[in-house]
Amino acid sequence: MIYLDHSATSPILPSAKKAMENALENFPGNASALHTPGHLAHNLIEEARENIAKLINADPEEIIFTSGGSEANNTVIHTFKNCEIFASAIEHPSILEPAKTYAKKLHQIPVDKDGVINLDFLKKSLKNTAKNTLCSVMLANNELGTIEPITEVKSIISALKSSDNIYLHTDATQALGKIKIDVKKLDIAYLTASAHKIGGPVGIGILYVKKGAPYQPLILGGHQEHGKRAGTYNTVAIAGFGAVAKYATTHKTWETYESEVRPLRDKLANLILKNIKGSALNTPLSLSLPNILNVSFAAAEGESIQLYLDMLGKIIVSTGSACASGDGKPSHVIMATRNDAEVAHSSIRFSLGLNTKKSDIDAVMKELPNIIKNLQGISTIEVKND
Amino acid sequence: MTKKCTSTPKTPAPWVYSEKVKEHFLNPQNFLMGDEKKFKCDAKGIIGNPICGDQMLMMLKIDKKTDTITDVKWKTYGCASAIASTSALSELAKGKTLDEALKIDAKQIADYLGGLPKHKFHCSVLGHDALKAAIENYREKH
Ligand code: FES
Repeated sequence: MIYLDHSATSPILPSAKKAMENALENFPGNASALHTPGHLAHNLIEEARENIAKLINADPEEIIFTSGGSEANNTVIHTFKNCEIFASAIEHPSILEPAKTYAKKLHQIPVDKDGVINLDFLKKSLKNTAKNTLCSVMLANNELGTIEPITEVKSIISALKSSDNIYLHTDATQALGKIKIDVKKLDIAYLTASAHKIGGPVGIGILYVKKGAPYQPLILGGHQEHGKRAGTYNTVAIAGFGAVAKYATTHKTWETYESEVRPLRDKLANLILKNIKGSALNTPLSLSLPNILNVSFAAAEGESIQLYLDMLGKIIVSTGSACASGDGKPSHVIMATRNDAEVAHSSIRFSLGLNTKKSDIDAVMKELPNIIKNLQGISTIEVKND
Repeated sequence: MTKKCTSTPKTPAPWVYSEKVKEHFLNPQNFLMGDEKKFKCDAKGIIGNPICGDQMLMMLKIDKKTDTITDVKWKTYGCASAIASTSALSELAKGKTLDEALKIDAKQIADYLGGLPKHKFHCSVLGHDALKAAIENYREKH
């Protein structure tokens, strides 16, 4: 199998698996209990917390464990209930949906065709904001890979008279481990991250909350995490997250992504553009994470492309297509960047991992051109010659 | 008392679709490759919209004397089930009279394919609607 869907979830890293097995076998106690097994489990969790804090240059006390990125995002938004919230139009649904529900007003920050947020819009509309306003802009987009200019967003906020009123959150679920992240340098109030996009288990994430930033727990009914997040500690998953965080820090995975994964991703992009009629990139190569490539293929429908790749070449990718007759909606990200449902329905996302090899790219190029040619051949839509 | 669990877990199906769907998806029947003008047909029906993520075109050759469908070709911009459904329908419709063909419903297409996942049932409706549109167009003109 050629797995190119790492941005959905990534295969477990051996060191994470080992750490989880160890936790499962040797640390069975409830980490909140005062007896010895409880205490040992507690220590294991604190070690993981330190490893995760180190990866993003936070203090361990600023890390709150959650059930994943979605819960971390929901928690931030919930903290700003009845406040004004600014969020980019291409945020993950776990930002946009709760913001629609809880915010006094949700201001969606428009993006350009590359998926980069409109800084002028932000500059204009952030003026005269009320107390406790949240601005949430992802570090990198999950469908396109586009990296957002968080530093610029921060400077815009800092230059405002009302800067003390505005708190900045970034969803780093896709960016973690792929680019260097330093919460102190970014000077943000909140950051979301999760384990399973970088070789950790699913079901575990964190919310970084800068000391002094407002916080409201989403889940009540327990003293865990100093009352900030109730619920029995998921020791096994936390140990797994700690292990991948340690791996990323010691191996500087972002450097390997840059030196090895990016050239492969760019090669795939160029081969597609050169060999496949009607192909167009949705990912801005130079402005994006090193491992994501989103491409549309005129007149060919995404789900069919995905399944042919799966069945003919055991190549695993994802698509932004979803048919309206089946109550599906095409990707809101591609609708925001291209405003063209056909482009969204014809889009495929390849997301590479640290183990992706040149031969994987060759395998894609062996199958993909014919698949697209056949789908275009039987399509009701004509492919224009360009 | 503890009871030992003896049942072995079933290995999950590797694909959500039936073998028949797979067969029609990998080897679709009666599609038209390229320009639709290549196929001289007596009736044509088009349904859906690429904006919605699916579109289907049915083309029929009809024997006027017997009112029978002698040949079918189709084109589609759609998902795997849409491709498989249209392919299946083209097989089902061939050789039938127009009245008989009109009676083929979405369920029959789905059954022929060995079932479709719930959220994919509408894909078979689509093929059937395109066939219906083609027959209606034909009847308006004849
Ligand atoms: S035609 Fe809508 S999902 Fe198949």
